[in-house]
Amino acid sequence: MITPVLLAVLALVLTGPAPAVLARSSWPYRVPRAAVILWQAIALAAVLAALGAGIALSYSIAGRPGEPRFDPSSPRDLVAALILAMTALVVVRLLWAVGRVAVGTRARRKRHRDLVDVLATPDGLIPGLRVLAEETPLAYCLPALRGARVVVSVGALDRLDDSELKAVLAHEQAHLRARHDLVLEEFTALHHAFPRWVRSDVALEQARTLVELLADDDARRRNGPRPLARALVALAGSPAPEAALAAAKSATVLRVERLAGPAPNERTLSTLTYAGAVTLLVLPTITIAAPIVKAIVDAVS
Amino acid sequence: MASEDKAPRPLGDLERLVMEQLWAAPTALTVREVHEQLAGTRELAYTTVMTVLDRLAKKKLTERERDGKAWRYRAAAPREELAADLMRDALDRAGDRREALVRFVGQVSDEEAALLREALSRLDGQEQTG
Repeated sequence: MITPVLLAVLALVLTGPAPAVLARSSWPYRVPRAAVILWQAIALAAVLAALGAGIALSYSIAGRPGEPRFDPSSPRDLVAALILAMTALVVVRLLWAVGRVAVGTRARRKRHRDLVDVLATPDGLIPGLRVLAEETPLAYCLPALRGARVVVSVGALDRLDDSELKAVLAHEQAHLRARHDLVLEEFTALHHAFPRWVRSDVALEQARTLVELLADDDARRRNGPRPLARALVALAGSPAPEAALAAAKSATVLRVERLAGPAPNERTLSTLTYAGAVTLLVLPTITIAAPIVKAIVDAVS
Repeated sequence: MASEDKAPRPLGDLERLVMEQLWAAPTALTVREVHEQLAGTRELAYTTVMTVLDRLAKKKLTERERDGKAWRYRAAAPREELAADLMRDALDRAGDRREALVRFVGQVSDEEAALLREALSRLDGQEQTG
């Protein structure tokens, strides 16, 4: 009975306090690549622990451990089956969310791409670049398996000099090359998979910031920190209408301040972060697998 | 999923040119009319224009109606309307739509704009002294 309790506690810690603490820390910004992996590990470990808790609870309630036969006349077996069914429901809900987000995102992106293709003019500067005749400063990428596009508005071009534009394009191409959209999609799906009252958007928000930092690091390696920082300031020039936005330091401020500092080189910290991610994944997996393996061994011998 | 990306690039460029013809025209145009207008500036097969108009109809960017034996095509919406749709999608970071696009920068408050300028001037100072 100890395994399901431990797994449930682990799942709760990984969905609530752990993300909250991590989101308030600033060290993940020093190792964005490792931090993205850590967030993915936390999310996956939380799901595994929650499912593991269900499976382990059902297993420990069922009539006689190691007895493979299901006995419908035994109330214990019925409760065990019910718990197992609820666990399966969580899996279904998760898969449904992943599918819905994937389909929805692709449909919306396809419509956006169709619009970009008829409204924006191609520019030979980089392959896939489209220039949109809009005054609002705007730069973003449209990821795709093939034929990804980078969209820049005329308003953005007006505000950027050549080196700044190069930095922006390098940033966007880094997103496309690394398929950061898929990383964000995972967190979006996870976000949608849980009912509104348990989910929080810290993981999604953090993932969003971290992939920006990753693309920034890539652009910085190519052109140095200065053009990118200047481009960020030039394009962020339009203050938000809502004052509420000022509550937390936005990712843009974080990014520019980070570019103003020395280039990140954090071997030890990133190694530790990766190690933490692996540990998180191994922990629930072993606790789930151990009793099952033991039961199989017991049944065979 | 991959099929949407398979279109060879020249067709994509033609789509834009064809849409521009349709937006500029006061009435719906037949394939022949679109072809005649475009053929003046580039070598273009009639069937290619037909394909492009058909693709645009599938993307719900054009609408067609019967006119005798021919189809007449017109833009499904004015250019400004589609541009507004696109901008809304590109700028909307609220609610469930915000994963659609990842923009280079978001909006900042006045206070943050000051922080940004300060950080930038620090960076510029470093460049000059270092």
